[in-house]
Amino acid sequence: MTLTGGEVGARGARENAVPAVVAKGLTKSYGRGDATVHALRGVDVSFATGAFTAIMGPSGSGKSTLMHCLAGLDTVSGGQVHIGDVELTGLGDKRLTLLRRERIGFIFQAFNLLPTLTAEQNIRLPLDIAGRQADQDLFDRVVETVGLRERLGHRPTELSGGQQQRVAVARALISKPQVIFADEPTGNLDSRSGAEVLSFLRTSVRELGQTIVMVTHDPVAASYADRVVFLRDGLLVSEIHRPTPQSVLDTLMKLEA
Amino acid sequence: MVKATLAGLLAHRLRLLLTSLAIALGVGFIAGTLVLTDTIDAGFSQRFAAAADKVDVAVLPAPGTDRQVPPHVPAAALEKVRAARGVADAQGLVRGTSALIGKDGKAAGDYPTSGIAVVEGPLNRTEITSGAAPKTDAQAVLDENTAKTRGFKVGDRITVLDSRETRHEFTLVGLFDVGLDQELGYTGAVGYTTAMAQRMTGQRTFTEIDVAAAEGVSQEQARAAVAAALGSGYQVVTGEKFADDLAKQNGADTGILKTGLLLFGLVAMFVAALVIYNTFTILVAQRTREMALLRCIGATRGQVFGSVLLESTVVGLLSSALGLLLGYGLSLGALTALTSFGAPLPTGVVPTLSPRTIGLAVALGVVVTVGAALLPARTATRVAPIAALRSQVEERTFRTGVVRTVLAALFLLAGAGVTAAGVAMDPGESALFVVMAGGTVFFLGVLIFGPVLVRPLGALVGWLPAKLFGVPGKLAVDNSGRNPRRSATTTVALTVGVTLMTLIAVITGTVRVTFTERLDEQFPVDYLIQPQDDDATLPRALGEGLRNRPELASVAAFREKITEVGGRGAEFRVGTFTPAPDFRPELDAGSIALLTPGTAVIGRHVAADLGLKVGDRITVRTAKAGAVDLRVVATFDPASGVLPPVTVPTADFDRYFGAVGDSRLMVNARDGVGADVGRRAVEAAAQPYPTAKVASAAEIRGEFEESLDMMVMIITGLLGLAVLISLLGIANTLSLSVYERTRESALLRALGLTRPQLRRMLSVEALILGVIGALVGVALGVGFGWAATQTMNDDVAFQVPVTQILVFVALSGLAGVIAAVLPARRAARASIVGSLATG
Repeated sequence: MTLTGGEVGARGARENAVPAVVAKGLTKSYGRGDATVHALRGVDVSFATGAFTAIMGPSGSGKSTLMHCLAGLDTVSGGQVHIGDVELTGLGDKRLTLLRRERIGFIFQAFNLLPTLTAEQNIRLPLDIAGRQADQDLFDRVVETVGLRERLGHRPTELSGGQQQRVAVARALISKPQVIFADEPTGNLDSRSGAEVLSFLRTSVRELGQTIVMVTHDPVAASYADRVVFLRDGLLVSEIHRPTPQSVLDTLMKLEA
Repeated sequence: MVKATLAGLLAHRLRLLLTSLAIALGVGFIAGTLVLTDTIDAGFSQRFAAAADKVDVAVLPAPGTDRQVPPHVPAAALEKVRAARGVADAQGLVRGTSALIGKDGKAAGDYPTSGIAVVEGPLNRTEITSGAAPKTDAQAVLDENTAKTRGFKVGDRITVLDSRETRHEFTLVGLFDVGLDQELGYTGAVGYTTAMAQRMTGQRTFTEIDVAAAEGVSQEQARAAVAAALGSGYQVVTGEKFADDLAKQNGADTGILKTGLLLFGLVAMFVAALVIYNTFTILVAQRTREMALLRCIGATRGQVFGSVLLESTVVGLLSSALGLLLGYGLSLGALTALTSFGAPLPTGVVPTLSPRTIGLAVALGVVVTVGAALLPARTATRVAPIAALRSQVEERTFRTGVVRTVLAALFLLAGAGVTAAGVAMDPGESALFVVMAGGTVFFLGVLIFGPVLVRPLGALVGWLPAKLFGVPGKLAVDNSGRNPRRSATTTVALTVGVTLMTLIAVITGTVRVTFTERLDEQFPVDYLIQPQDDDATLPRALGEGLRNRPELASVAAFREKITEVGGRGAEFRVGTFTPAPDFRPELDAGSIALLTPGTAVIGRHVAADLGLKVGDRITVRTAKAGAVDLRVVATFDPASGVLPPVTVPTADFDRYFGAVGDSRLMVNARDGVGADVGRRAVEAAAQPYPTAKVASAAEIRGEFEESLDMMVMIITGLLGLAVLISLLGIANTLSLSVYERTRESALLRALGLTRPQLRRMLSVEALILGVIGALVGVALGVGFGWAATQTMNDDVAFQVPVTQILVFVALSGLAGVIAAVLPARRAARASIVGSLATG
């Protein structure tokens, strides 16, 4: 993982800039009384603009809940979330939807695409919903990057799992969101397709300056990120920069112990 | 297995309710019809049985052979009956016309009131509700309804015309209830003493003789004695049988009502079956994994099949029970409504659910539900156990199969062929039946071909919404064609109702225009004056009075007599008209000026019946001039016929038949005279003649249109049930689709689709489904409406009531949108995170 001086400089500059996503004292609980489950117990975390961050943790640690709260898909019980300069907490459904539409991209583990639309229509969907025109240059670059030029006219059922996920990545990139949230994007893929998708994610951070937050339980996937934060029992417990599969695994082992 | 099925049903109560409601509405309608007609029948039987208590023997005329004279019992028979052994009392019933004069000085009502005898003693069956029965010839009673509408009360003086139109005054001593007598209910009636009734109606004979047997004489003994005394030529029955016969006769009347209503009920059940079929198909598709899991843990194909059937049986039973309740309520409502509209129905009978009604309704509900679920249940058995392990249910792509295309083509061609044959046939009932059969076969073809049609039609219908509503619109269009089979069944259910409604609209529209055109032809005048009683005439002085009015331009008077024409026993109306400047009847060739002394113009049907052509001679038997030989100078179309079938010159007619009164007068107002001024002039001239009824073309048209509108309203209302059920189907399909697409909706919401946009997407999808269903229905309805009108008559003016049809389409779309409200709300409310996790 060698970086040129220019890239290091650029990243340094971005890391000093306003963080893309900030959470302060974030709590989330479900249920009532004795049955209350505290999924998040006060998480303070920030995600730098132009960085690729992975969120890890054992099952039930609250990593998916954290992502949902950060992305405005779920309401929080306490604390604050900022996307850029906008505070999410307290926004109504309409404002939240518009915010997602304009500033956030998503890649899910499965069922990412609408079965009735072609690959190209799926890619353009966020822009269509927002009523915006796609930047044709960007569209061409994204399609080139994910290698889907030949497949644009196909429907999801005619694509392999890896190709479907690449369409999802392209769709997330096309609207140039402030941040992309990826929830186990390689969970359903074989290792080769998974590596491909992760490479595309990293390339988009390097070349397009995209900010990505990814939830995963796979140390290899996490090692593609610039930084990994670890959750346990709803609290942020550790983080490492410039991870390798081994360093991630070691940290996980320590947490499980 | 049974437990798993029932638990599944309980878990989806709302779906169960929606599905049940479709069947329940159909069953309810049918059960309601049965309860209603049973109740009416029971009421009639009860009332007739009460009548039978009074009458021990009834003497009726033998069924008449002569159509001109209604059957009657000669007056002499009464004495013979009274003299018979074992007879305590016998009374003859008199019935005829005796026109009551209203407070405006004109004969009351469109038809002359009936005159009846109110007999004395225990045999009296007329129910006096206030005051007393007439005791003297100066007293009379009036039926309650006429008294109310004409503003008469006990103690008033009333004026009634006898059969020779002489005025008689009576003191109104009481009011009576006409009971179940439909004829009296319709015309209204005045009751007199028997002698007076005979004088007023001019009837010397009786319609019936009622007999009371002496103490200790049985009905049968009395019957035998009376029959022996009278000899042949009479129907002599016991009171019991008489009551039974009357009740049966009325039962036949309710039979028609029952059959008509049941037909609509069957249409509703057919639509309900489509809805059930669709629901179960979707349920099976959605539960593929569940069923595969059952198969994995050891359930046999038979058990899976059984579980789907069990589910449908439970749904069928529940819906039938619900339907029975609904039907009972409906019949109560219908009875109340009918009674408040003044229908002569027996009151005081509580509607009951007979075991037959319960059995029939439950059987129908269960059979239709289980029958509709059979195919989906078979599909369920084909689920492979391995499907349980697949993470995502693959959407089956639909391809047009060769079998489907061939089958659809066969049905469509056969249907079109049969219909064409029906259109080509001679107009008449059998042609109509052929067209109906063709229509049914064609419809089956459309049903089979539906899935192929859905996508192109969806694209067509969705073109505008897709443009208007952006992404939600486009997605809605895609979704509507996503599962063509499902969409087709959903929309076809709506198509059934819309097709029938359009058919009715086209037929009535055509009849309306044809009638209006014909009316303009036949009624080329402003006012028509006719005697209240069709068989009576008006004095010629009325015509003279009209001609003297400066407001009126022309008056044509028609005079007629029925007599033998052609010398071989055939009778026709022979008549004439007084020439008037605006009256130019149309002939097949030449003008009415051809009609010179010693000639006649005849209707084509007369020419056909008697084998005559222009130039032939025709024999007419006359009253004053014996048999006369006339030359036929022209024929005319009887359909446009204002003219009597055999028309002769005015002077000739008087010579043949004497000074016969006018049977109708056609009057035109002078140009520039206002409608109300002209009307007043005609009314004023007619005032001295109480039985002269004035009508205007506008009124006749209005009355006709009113009755036509009423018919359309009733039929449309009854078909509305089928449409309502199909809307439940749309709601059901959509909510199941919404459930199926939970994750998809969540994804769209995550990507920035707002709640209103998601709702709009579903509304547009429903709109498209609704409009597709309506468009197909309109196309079929117009097509077969045309075919049906072609079987009516050679020259109908085919008419498509465009506005009405556009309203149907718009309402269908709107109704679809309304059906989508609940499913759309539910979809929009779902939490994104929760929905993403499902599946």
